[in-house]
Amino acid sequence: MVQLLSSDNETFTVDKQVAERSILIKNMLEDVGESDAPIPLPNVTAKILKKVIDWCEHHRSDPVSQQEEVNDRKRLTEIDEWDQKFMEVDQETLFEIILAANYLDIKPLLDIGCKTVANMIKGKSPEEIRRTFNIVNDFTPEEEAQIRKENEWAEDR
Amino acid sequence: MDLCRADDLSPPATPPGSSVSSSSPSPTLLTRPPQRLRPNYSDPSLGDMLIQPSALFSACELDHLQQVKAAFQQMDPQQKQYFLFEILNCCDTQQLNFVSSYIAPRLKIDFLKELPIEISLYILSFIDDPKTLARASRVSTFWNSLLKDETTWKTLCHKHHYRRRNSTINGTSLLGPPARRLDFSYREYFKRKFNIEAAWENGGKVSTFLDSLDPGLVTSLQFDDDIIVAGCDNHKIEVFDARSGTKLRTMEGHEGGVWALQFHGSGEPGDHRILASGGCDRNVRVWDLDTGRLLHVMRGHTSTVRCLKLRDKNTAVTGSRDNTLRVWDIERGVQKFVLLGHQASVRCLEIHGNLAVSGSYDSTARIWDLDTGRCRHVLSGHYSQIYSIAFDGDKVITGSLDTSIRVWSAETGQCLATLHGHTSLVGQLQLNGHTLVSGGSDGCLRVWDLDSLECIHRISAHDNSVTCLQFDDRRIISGGNDGRTKLWDIKTGRLIRHLTHPAKTVWRLQFNDTKAVIVMQRRRSTNPDESRSAMELHNFDLLADDPTATVTADEDVDMA
Repeated sequence: MVQLLSSDNETFTVDKQVAERSILIKNMLEDVGESDAPIPLPNVTAKILKKVIDWCEHHRSDPVSQQEEVNDRKRLTEIDEWDQKFMEVDQETLFEIILAANYLDIKPLLDIGCKTVANMIKGKSPEEIRRTFNIVNDFTPEEEAQIRKENEWAEDR
Repeated sequence: MDLCRADDLSPPATPPGSSVSSSSPSPTLLTRPPQRLRPNYSDPSLGDMLIQPSALFSACELDHLQQVKAAFQQMDPQQKQYFLFEILNCCDTQQLNFVSSYIAPRLKIDFLKELPIEISLYILSFIDDPKTLARASRVSTFWNSLLKDETTWKTLCHKHHYRRRNSTINGTSLLGPPARRLDFSYREYFKRKFNIEAAWENGGKVSTFLDSLDPGLVTSLQFDDDIIVAGCDNHKIEVFDARSGTKLRTMEGHEGGVWALQFHGSGEPGDHRILASGGCDRNVRVWDLDTGRLLHVMRGHTSTVRCLKLRDKNTAVTGSRDNTLRVWDIERGVQKFVLLGHQASVRCLEIHGNLAVSGSYDSTARIWDLDTGRCRHVLSGHYSQIYSIAFDGDKVITGSLDTSIRVWSAETGQCLATLHGHTSLVGQLQLNGHTLVSGGSDGCLRVWDLDSLECIHRISAHDNSVTCLQFDDRRIISGGNDGRTKLWDIKTGRLIRHLTHPAKTVWRLQFNDTKAVIVMQRRRSTNPDESRSAMELHNFDLLADDPTATVTADEDVDMA
């Protein structure tokens, strides 16, 4: 078992196999060796750490993919059902999961998070994208016209 | 609650009772600007809420509200949540809707802006639709600058397989010096490639030239970036500008119809285009194509030269109705070897390295060593005349009047397979890698996988013979005696579109990544019994004239 300490000082006890889904933790464990001291994770709150541990529990026995580039095409679209449900969270949480996955170096989780955001962008008009992410259109009318023209090539194939 | 000032609104909280976690912000998440949580007051969604509080409340009431607000600010997170719970429970639907629409945008995050840039780019790498990416670049100035990052477009080029070894956007000129690649942009490259693909799909710029060729028969066609060369049955060789289609020169000298020609060279300084041609007058002629000057007339064949291939700028090989092939030193204008063995007319030939393969009306094919002039193998098996041949150095493919296609080993001369399916003469063959496309007098195109030896697509392409075909890794173009030119998707076998208006017959065609040239015979509209020639020049690189299109990299650019 491994103890993990969140930024807000909550301790989580998890199987080593689960914790080692995080390459960061895996490397730390290898460096430190056997120790009962909790591993501090100053970049992850308890709320997000709990989410991340849930994910790692579910994916504890996934094979470690060595050939991620080979699955390039597949990698693009697919998010399995459980992960899709897992990612049905508010944007704040999604944002923090992505940051945590990046910090903890859990590539498959980072992938799912990024794919989820990518799917929120796909097929939308600029205005729909702005509404989705509450972005202010900060172009001047001239700039907007210019940029629209620059990007016309991709429309109406 | 209307009075609660906007900048005092806390982040959302779960209702009391559920497990409450500490909401103290993580000190390390500094990538997020704190303003995002403190929206300013000028949000238009507030509408008439902007009116002065004094218009709604007495001074005493206002004072009281200030106290409530101060008290709220003193509370700990759990107390705050409880307070909000109480307040929200006092609200009717209209007020809850107000709260909901007021809060909703504030719970949204501009992910691409707030995340570290490498993660933002990683998110974009999951989008393979250029339309989405182009639209994303119109969202805001930040998104626009992010979408200019080359990584995204490089990945996209890779995903769309916009890397092709044997063909180039601008032909040979892309193999320019490295300095020309400094301003290379994957974004521009993708844009141009994407537009070229779209033009193939929907139609490019078509220029038609009537009566510039022999109305009777055009036997041979070859073009590069600068010129188009056509050999005609009226003894002439015509040269056109590949961009404008205007005639540059007519090369006359052959005393009979020209049946075969090929040129070599780029026309760059020091690399003159050398053209060799042969035909009914039995002579092989060598020309400087850039000046039109006749360099050599080489005599030897005793009957019509039916096929001709250049090995390089020094060596030509010809096949003739006199049953022989001949190897020529075209630099000096002399014959090197006579290749004897065929018992009938030599119909087709192909060269790879120092080997030539020939197909004959004697039903055999032969493999020849061009360095020694010796015959290495006789490929026997067809029951009837061979009309077409393809060769990649490893496999020889022959198409015959016996309706079959045979696959032979160039090494051993053994027949590896016989491909059945066509119901008539197989007159057209092209081989590339493990893909073979055949065209028959039955009007069918067949796409074969030579690894499995299976026919992947059987396409009923034309009402009459297939007279010409070419394919690359995306498409096939076929022309037929029915006067149609059709563009096919090689992966699916689907007809993409008709490339030309119906003619009487399609003689020859050739295409590269950005251009196609098709020569046809049409009926004269004033007198349908009279024929005229038509040459169509299709340009699919419509952005090429656009000065902003600066695609100057060679195609071996690493897309990985």
